Amino acid sequence: MLSVGIIGLGNMGMLHLRNCRHVDGVKVVSVADKSKKALKKAEALGVKNLFTNYQDLLKGPPKIDVAIIALPNFLHFESVQRALEEGVDVFVEKPLASTVEECEKIVRLVEKSGRKLMVGHNMRFIEAIEKMKVAIEDGRIGDLEVVTLEQILNGPFTHGMMPRPVAEWWFDPRKVGGGVLLDLGYHLVDLFRFFVEEDSDVILSHLSYKFNLPIEDGAIIVLRSCESGARGIINVGWFQKSVFPEYNFRVILHGCAGFISSESLVPRNIYFHAIKEGTKNILRRILRTKIKPLSYSYYYEAYYKELLSFFDCIKNDLNPPVSAVDGLKTLSLIEQAYKKSNKQ
Amino acid sequence: MKLGDVVGLIRTQHSKEEIKSSIAKALDLINFKPKGRVKVVDIKPNLCYYWHSSTGSTTDPLVVGGIIDCIRERYGDDVHIRVVEADATAMRTKHAFLMLGYEKLAKEKNVELFNLSEDELREEKSCVNGVEIRFQVPTSLFKSDLFINVPKLKTLSETKFSCALKNIYGCIAYPKKIVYHSVLHEAIVGINKIIRPHLTIVDGIVALGKYPTKLGLIMASRDPFSVDWVAAQIMGFNPSKVKFLKIALKENVGNLEGLEIQGENIAVFQKYFPKVGFFSSKQWWNTLYSLFLFYIRLSDDVIPPMLEK
Repeated sequence: MLSVGIIGLGNMGMLHLRNCRHVDGVKVVSVADKSKKALKKAEALGVKNLFTNYQDLLKGPPKIDVAIIALPNFLHFESVQRALEEGVDVFVEKPLASTVEECEKIVRLVEKSGRKLMVGHNMRFIEAIEKMKVAIEDGRIGDLEVVTLEQILNGPFTHGMMPRPVAEWWFDPRKVGGGVLLDLGYHLVDLFRFFVEEDSDVILSHLSYKFNLPIEDGAIIVLRSCESGARGIINVGWFQKSVFPEYNFRVILHGCAGFISSESLVPRNIYFHAIKEGTKNILRRILRTKIKPLSYSYYYEAYYKELLSFFDCIKNDLNPPVSAVDGLKTLSLIEQAYKKSNKQ
Repeated sequence: MKLGDVVGLIRTQHSKEEIKSSIAKALDLINFKPKGRVKVVDIKPNLCYYWHSSTGSTTDPLVVGGIIDCIRERYGDDVHIRVVEADATAMRTKHAFLMLGYEKLAKEKNVELFNLSEDELREEKSCVNGVEIRFQVPTSLFKSDLFINVPKLKTLSETKFSCALKNIYGCIAYPKKIVYHSVLHEAIVGINKIIRPHLTIVDGIVALGKYPTKLGLIMASRDPFSVDWVAAQIMGFNPSKVKFLKIALKENVGNLEGLEIQGENIAVFQKYFPKVGFFSSKQWWNTLYSLFLFYIRLSDDVIPPMLEK
């Protein structure tokens, strides 16, 4: 049984906590958060050891095997470093750290410690994206020439079911480290890297500021892979009022032999999909077989699948599908895009 | 007894000059003349959340800018003008002012931005429909010579729509206004018993129904209840069946006597307003959400915190 500690119980930390309950051979033994309300919620979900600071969680008791880090971006480096020094495997929400320099230090620490580290690039685990990757590998669209990737929504300003103020750190450029380019752009840059499997450069970058914040709320960047010359056109924004459950996200792969769009691979009717998958889960529960958590949502399901994949790597001593080097390379491209944009 | 008032409807275009002249026309249409000298003016837009005005959810700063220009033209450059808003459950005024273009506007027009939640407060009680409700009320609003309410014309699942009376509810200084949601209709009427704007100018340039639409409407009146009665009709609701308007009538916050429409024909706007159907109603969403929660219990599936109430 792997003992897990979750550091940070915001939306992502809480989601990981709930997902862990459905992973065989895994038990969340401790959580850390400054918020007493969040700790109470975790306690209600059966977590026995509650900490208000993550250093105490890492030291134990109880001793943990794995730390899931879901803290604000500016705390990633320090907490990952501490966790690796304590000798535990780490799953960290993206970005790996705030700067390329910090990412490089983490890469060295991972090598030195021999521990496993995976970065939460959840979008790689969306079923449609997995199918697109297979289509490239099978040669169905020929040589990949252009990838267009779009994700436009409200970002941190999404109005949830229960209205809550947006955490203040999102408004602090030093703490958040960047705007939509770092938040959503990061995911799409990673997907481009995932599809082309080569090093790339940023050839164009434009940032926009519709909401007058010191961080960008719109970004358009163009990437080019170094060997094949495939281009990636990335368009991300936080400026759109998101209407749940609509999800403004699409990827199109254009190859010499054809094209494939994520929109043709995601459920056409999200309500029908939710009912269909939900019914299957109810039946699974009645038949006392394992349910497929979050399968009612093609987007949220990816969060469960990435965790599952991480724990599989630990149990079977495999390399995580998204390594610290992936985190470093993706952040390097993001930094390039910021630098290029400033020169324009 | 408060009487209904003239409601002026003007068609406008989305440009600085056009908006300003439409506001001036609307004021002439209702023959607006403030009592006494105007030295201090408070303008309350609707900045419910960090949504751009083109979504139809928040007041366009161009409308507030047009109002500021009209005030300066009519009452002189030395009038002290404040744009006011209070924090809401999920919205912080300081961020909304920045993100929605009000900081830029304040610099351009040399006006003050003021967070009513940081004002000197006093507790007021209001008894509505047999319910006693307490409010934290910002005191400085009562010192202004001219308090202008600048709501949006938009549908809202909880109350059918939000316009003049609902925007005054936004003046309650206590941020967690969600505490009033079990008595929302009564709270809207209750706060309107305490805080009365001298003038209401509705930003219906982009209105929000089933989707946002360029309605090109400026509406003005001295009486917020009269505004809402007309607004309900534009949005396709029978005003006599809107709960907070019924309560407002009963509680004498409004009166149909004296209500009169001037300017454009209401039918022009009714025709283009995208009316909401059952599938965008609160009841429909509540039903779906209850089914979802029932499913979570039945299956032991995971609920993402973002979908949690």
